[in-house]
Amino acid sequence: MFIEDIRNDFYNVLLGNRVLLLVHYDVDAVCACKILQDLFKCDNISYTLVPVGGISDLKTAYDENNEEIKYVVLVNCGGTVDLVDILQPEEDVVFFVLDSHKPTDICNVYSDGQVRLIYKDDEENIPNFDDIFRDDEEDEAEFESEGREGIEAVVERRRTRKAWEERRHTLMFNYTQFSYYGKPSACVALEIAARASRCTAATLWSAAVAAAAHEALHYRSPARCLLDAEPLHRYVAAAQRHAADDDAHRVARVIVEKDAWLPLYRWWSLEAALSHAGALAPHLRLHARSGAVRLRQLLADMGFPLQQARQAYRSMDVELRRSLLTALESAAPKHKLPVPTRATFLLQRPHALPVAALDTVYAIMALIEHETIPSAEGFQHALAALQVTGENEALKQGMAAARRALEAVARLANSILSSRGLMLAGPFNYFIVQEGSPEAGSLRGPLWLREAARWVSRAAPGAPRALLASAPHAATNCLLLGLPPRFDHEPRNLFGAAFEQAATKSGASVSLDHVDSSIITLPVTQRAQFLDALTALLA
Amino acid sequence: MFGEKVIELLKEAERNRETIDLYNDEKIRQIIQEMHVLFKMNMSDANATTENKTLWTTVQVRHSALERNKRCLLAYLYNRMIKIKTLRWEFGSVLPPDVRELLSDSEYDWFSKYSTNLATYMRSLGEDIGYSGIDLTENLRPPKSLYIEVLCITDYGKLELEDGDVITLKKNSRHFLPTSECQTLIRQGVLKQII
Repeated sequence: MFIEDIRNDFYNVLLGNRVLLLVHYDVDAVCACKILQDLFKCDNISYTLVPVGGISDLKTAYDENNEEIKYVVLVNCGGTVDLVDILQPEEDVVFFVLDSHKPTDICNVYSDGQVRLIYKDDEENIPNFDDIFRDDEEDEAEFESEGREGIEAVVERRRTRKAWEERRHTLMFNYTQFSYYGKPSACVALEIAARASRCTAATLWSAAVAAAAHEALHYRSPARCLLDAEPLHRYVAAAQRHAADDDAHRVARVIVEKDAWLPLYRWWSLEAALSHAGALAPHLRLHARSGAVRLRQLLADMGFPLQQARQAYRSMDVELRRSLLTALESAAPKHKLPVPTRATFLLQRPHALPVAALDTVYAIMALIEHETIPSAEGFQHALAALQVTGENEALKQGMAAARRALEAVARLANSILSSRGLMLAGPFNYFIVQEGSPEAGSLRGPLWLREAARWVSRAAPGAPRALLASAPHAATNCLLLGLPPRFDHEPRNLFGAAFEQAATKSGASVSLDHVDSSIITLPVTQRAQFLDALTALLA
Repeated sequence: MFGEKVIELLKEAERNRETIDLYNDEKIRQIIQEMHVLFKMNMSDANATTENKTLWTTVQVRHSALERNKRCLLAYLYNRMIKIKTLRWEFGSVLPPDVRELLSDSEYDWFSKYSTNLATYMRSLGEDIGYSGIDLTENLRPPKSLYIEVLCITDYGKLELEDGDVITLKKNSRHFLPTSECQTLIRQGVLKQII
């Protein structure tokens, strides 16, 4: 069931009650969780927050915490599965689902009121109720009618029923074939905060980070990202109008500025940022022997001396720093690079460096999927990294971890491309991260593995093809994820449905536990037969 | 000299303004002994004064000494009484054994009666609205916020709140609960407050 009025039907319902918040491990969920937490603190709504990694985690978390809880809010998890079936809740428990993973499960859409979806995406083509569900009582009427007209009527009814079932099958197939992402949950949470008049700089900043995440990680096509971020631009402009000028030295503000789309360049040296930028570096083909030469040529075209570019950004010459954007824009077309600058969000803090939303995205990713810190603890650090006030230790830790992870991604991609580790299989390519290689520790999680896959896909020669990536997960398992071709413009992923079918065909013990259906875990020994089944399916 | 011992007693009490000391039974008995002696001497001399006017000043001096002793003793006991009242607001109705030793028996009796009085009063607050009383000794200063956010550091198990809700405290789960519920657990180290 969809909620029409988010303030009255969602927020006001929760006032005065205790809520269970179940949040998935990804950047958008962390941002949405932060916004909801701030709202709950303002209104003294007691809550219990539990991070979950997958569907089985969701079930255990719900079972442990469900005593005396009437309202459960699920952020970025549970929208794509039949909640009532999996969690087996009591009659009066109400679930509010704020999930950007689509397609939403049909049983959740047509639930009686136990499962309420907070946001309705217009781009989903949800089949009508009558096309999918049909009263079975009509079948019983068949047996009652006797006589000659009775037999004809029975045959007629059976024929219509078969036609209806075939139509239902096609509709469901078309609906569940592709998995994709909807509007960021944090933007919906921002709407709730704005309607409840509790929109602060912290809320705007969390929403800005989530919007940057959807753009940087290519969850949505660029046009849709712009549309999603439009309310955010409006609120930021409104906040700027209300703030007085002298306040700029005392409070933190979110501003919109044209900035270079290079992750972490303020916290690193310029050369390092250029060679580790996922949008630019693959086009420079740094894995080839002439790659380093191309990078130096780019820096020379920009007019930056090599020694300056290798220093930490903050110790670079002030003139060079000011001319960075124009230099990048003029030098990029010469090397056939995509446009390296765009209007993005920055957090201006008094007496501290400005923080770019893009940098925070990578910092949070690194904290959630850290090499040494377990995910649940990393989640707490990630929530702390979104603070706008105070000395943000968690953010610094996240930036350091993000630098390490980006270096590992670049190393892995370069080694795969130079050693021809990219293998062809039918309609897709695939590469495998070997167990024991130094990058396997950093790239265990799905977010970073996908970053590496995007890198390899951009730098791979030839026409764009679908790409599969595999990395060692636990002791004997491995993670397998699928990336569509041309992911930057057409992010709809068919690997979710494909994996399910290939699993049944090959008989491998595949675990479809992840909330994003294009990621699966399976034992290493069965990987080869699974890939064969998948090749046969997609050929 | 008369009245010296009682000044020593007061100096002792003065040395420790914040907390209470051991009830100096010994010295009090000596002082009362002194007062008895003075009183007896006065009694005998007072009867003689009606005939002999020279003893009148002696009686007056002794009487002043007696009154001085009485005043100082009362001040000492009153000061202890105030300190015992603060003990009740700090420690609650059950005193730890090392504090219990510092009080005399009659002081302890007074303490229990005061406790009962306070408890009856607190229970009577809000009776007409339906509350079963408010614990006034809980927050002597206004708290910063009614609810605080806590992170669970260890697996504790189930916690029952005052209004009947049961919360499962598992490692790395965050909760937003009323301050009063969390205080004991924060002191124990099971929960950690997140600022």
